Amino acid sequence: MFCRAPTNLVILAQMDQAAIQTHGLARRFGDLTAVEDVTLTVTQGQFFGFLGPNGAGKSTTIKMLTGLLEPSAGTIEILGQPFSSTALHLKRQIGVVPEGMALLGRLTATEYLRFVGRMYGLDRATVERRTEELLEFMQLANERRKMVTDFSHGMQKKLALAAAVIHGPKVLFLDEPFEGVDAIAAGMLKTMLQGMIQHGATIFLTTHVLEIVERLCSHVAIIHQGRLVANGSIEALRAGVASTLPGAESGQRLTLEEIFLSIVGAGGGEPVQELSWLT
Amino acid sequence: MADLSGSFDAGLAPTGAGPLSRLARVQYAALIAMRTRIFANNFRTSAGAFEFGARAISYFIYSLMGFGLGVGAGSVAFSLVSHNHLHSLFLEFWAICILWQAISIALASLQEHFDLGNLLRFPVNFGSFYLLHLLFGLVDASTLAGGLSCLGLLTGITLARPDLFGVTVLALLEFAAFNILLVRAILAWLDRWLAKRRSREIISAVFLLATVSAQLLNPVLREDQPFTHHHHAGGPRTGELRPWVNAVLTTQAWLPPGLASAVVGEADQHDSTAIAASLGILGIFVLGAGGLLGIRLRAEYRGENLGEAPSRSKNEKREAAWLIAGSGPISAEIEKELRTLFRSMPQLYAVFVPMVMVVIIGSLFRTGATAVAHPFRLAIPICVAYGLLGFTQLIYNNLGAEGKGIQLVFLFPVPVRTVILAKNLFHGALYIFVALVSGVLASLRIGRPDPDVIAATIGWLTFALPANLAAGNVISLTMAYRVNLGRIGRQSGSQANALLSMLIQTTILGIGVGVISLCNIFDRLWLAAPILLALAVVTVLAWLTVLRNVDAMANARRDTLIAKLVKTE
Repeated sequence: MFCRAPTNLVILAQMDQAAIQTHGLARRFGDLTAVEDVTLTVTQGQFFGFLGPNGAGKSTTIKMLTGLLEPSAGTIEILGQPFSSTALHLKRQIGVVPEGMALLGRLTATEYLRFVGRMYGLDRATVERRTEELLEFMQLANERRKMVTDFSHGMQKKLALAAAVIHGPKVLFLDEPFEGVDAIAAGMLKTMLQGMIQHGATIFLTTHVLEIVERLCSHVAIIHQGRLVANGSIEALRAGVASTLPGAESGQRLTLEEIFLSIVGAGGGEPVQELSWLT
Repeated sequence: MADLSGSFDAGLAPTGAGPLSRLARVQYAALIAMRTRIFANNFRTSAGAFEFGARAISYFIYSLMGFGLGVGAGSVAFSLVSHNHLHSLFLEFWAICILWQAISIALASLQEHFDLGNLLRFPVNFGSFYLLHLLFGLVDASTLAGGLSCLGLLTGITLARPDLFGVTVLALLEFAAFNILLVRAILAWLDRWLAKRRSREIISAVFLLATVSAQLLNPVLREDQPFTHHHHAGGPRTGELRPWVNAVLTTQAWLPPGLASAVVGEADQHDSTAIAASLGILGIFVLGAGGLLGIRLRAEYRGENLGEAPSRSKNEKREAAWLIAGSGPISAEIEKELRTLFRSMPQLYAVFVPMVMVVIIGSLFRTGATAVAHPFRLAIPICVAYGLLGFTQLIYNNLGAEGKGIQLVFLFPVPVRTVILAKNLFHGALYIFVALVSGVLASLRIGRPDPDVIAATIGWLTFALPANLAAGNVISLTMAYRVNLGRIGRQSGSQANALLSMLIQTTILGIGVGVISLCNIFDRLWLAAPILLALAVVTVLAWLTVLRNVDAMANARRDTLIAKLVKTE
């Protein structure tokens, strides 16, 4: 007789498998190299923070990983399978909050979620049920008849996130999901994302709010000037950076912000140039 | 603490009140420099250079059309003034006025406009804002056509009567100023009304009422000698309409085109007081149009939000049901298109206004005003073709309304082909509906067409629809531009797209006209339908071929498409 393995065991077994794997990923725009030789592995069930200063190549990398941009070189594997913009079966497994959110301004919140759900192939009953749940969860239920174009920025973010998870993706790509979201909603979103991780989903997050990454992510990668300059667990990065900092006291617990600034080269205590007309 | 006095504002130009203050002049210089840089930067990409080329060609065509109108207006004016029929000049002024407004509104969504709302974050005074609003986009198709027509009018009148030159210049200057201000006021107010649900509903009701009224007027407008053999007698004679005509003539004399033409007539009679009075009243109209525009711009200047905010009670109402059954991507996309179209009045008007025009064009055929002296059998297909003119933007820029949502097309686990197919199905169904309604409306005005005319029209539609869809898909993927669904004016437009789509549509129309006319000339109109159906096989195959290659084309152009449609306004 066939016995089903307990769900937790299945999830643990999946943990070792790569959810996202890139090798030598690069993207060039004419003479400009936006991303160069990015090789990384995100295992299933990992909450992965992808950090970098402005213009470092974060959004370009996410666009390549989600099929919005063709890589100039390198390979991408999602859930162990080669990924390209035409890999529709894999697109069904991923959810994305892209840069700019990809909302349709002339639909209401309900209509937008219904549309997205149907495009992912969900049946009518599921679309209706999940739309209701998501609108309630995101506290958008009272705004359901408002057109998306009239939403505040924070409400649009919540709606974009709702759309990204309506089909229950196994891998979720979030580009600045907390930007403009109020503290209450941000708390709920974090809980929701952690819940997804506990159920085996993988989350690839870019944000400039390092406290959030420190609180949520187990692993981080830092991209700087298009190249991956750090990759590993936060603890490993902390240990690595602490060992290279001459002024670091033993036992001092570096924050992620300090680690980040140290790695991207802005933490050397160099004097910041002042603006002549503001001082 | 550092002493900040005198350091923050160092180097700032002093603020001024007027549109000619020092600060304003500095800002104008900055704007000119910015526009120059944008112009120069166009040439960095081949698409930008192509767009510039298309714009140059478009303006050349507009200029030719304007020149033609100018020559026409000049010739008619010369003839009228030479034969001392100055009292009939008002017809020309009215024609120019209507043309000026109509061209501007018809082409508003296809022309590129710089949204001056972007300037509101700077210390730009209202006078400058107003002036810039007038100056930006002054060299557009309507001003070109209207301006050249006025010039033609001036030349015609002056050649016939050199002594009228001075007064005619004054009248035409005021007349041109009125038109320039009025067209901008109309566009600004339309945008305002169409942005609000309630006013949008009122405008829609007025629009529908106008359509129905045109049909209700049908029997009234009928004459005793219908030119088709489907004869419907009855209705009043033209003589019974004379009181109405007189009332219209009296009223028009107090309106700008009537006043401008009256100035010329009064100059002929050397009536200085009347000239001054007419110019004065015309000046009041200019100020009025300027004021109307000013009210709208003032609200915009103060940061008015045209967005909608339904009340809480409305929000709590039950959500609308699904419009299209089925949970597949095609039905989802069609439902989205349907909802978006009915919330975008600019698109809705573009599609449905030509249908109203069909009634008017039908009336022209009906009364023989187009100099067609004998029964014109092909009036119905002409009306149907005209009724379909509003599909240019919808079919030839079918991704433009997606905006940032274009990313979804590439994120969804469905081929781009499916999305485009759904759009084509929706647009095709709408196309057929509009063709059907246009045909019925035209038939009500002109009379029931012969079966071979109906067959020829259906044959042309069967040929034209897939041809338009095929070409539309290619142009949409290669020359997409972002469409602001909430505005008629101030769009980001693409002259390259507009020019190419017009050329293709003209070719499709030309083929239909060629086949049907030739068959008609040789009295074999029944042959037109099979010929066009045979051509339709080719266009259907072309459409299917394009559809098959849509994914490859979309993926090859993905970066550019996303950049174009997601770009910051």
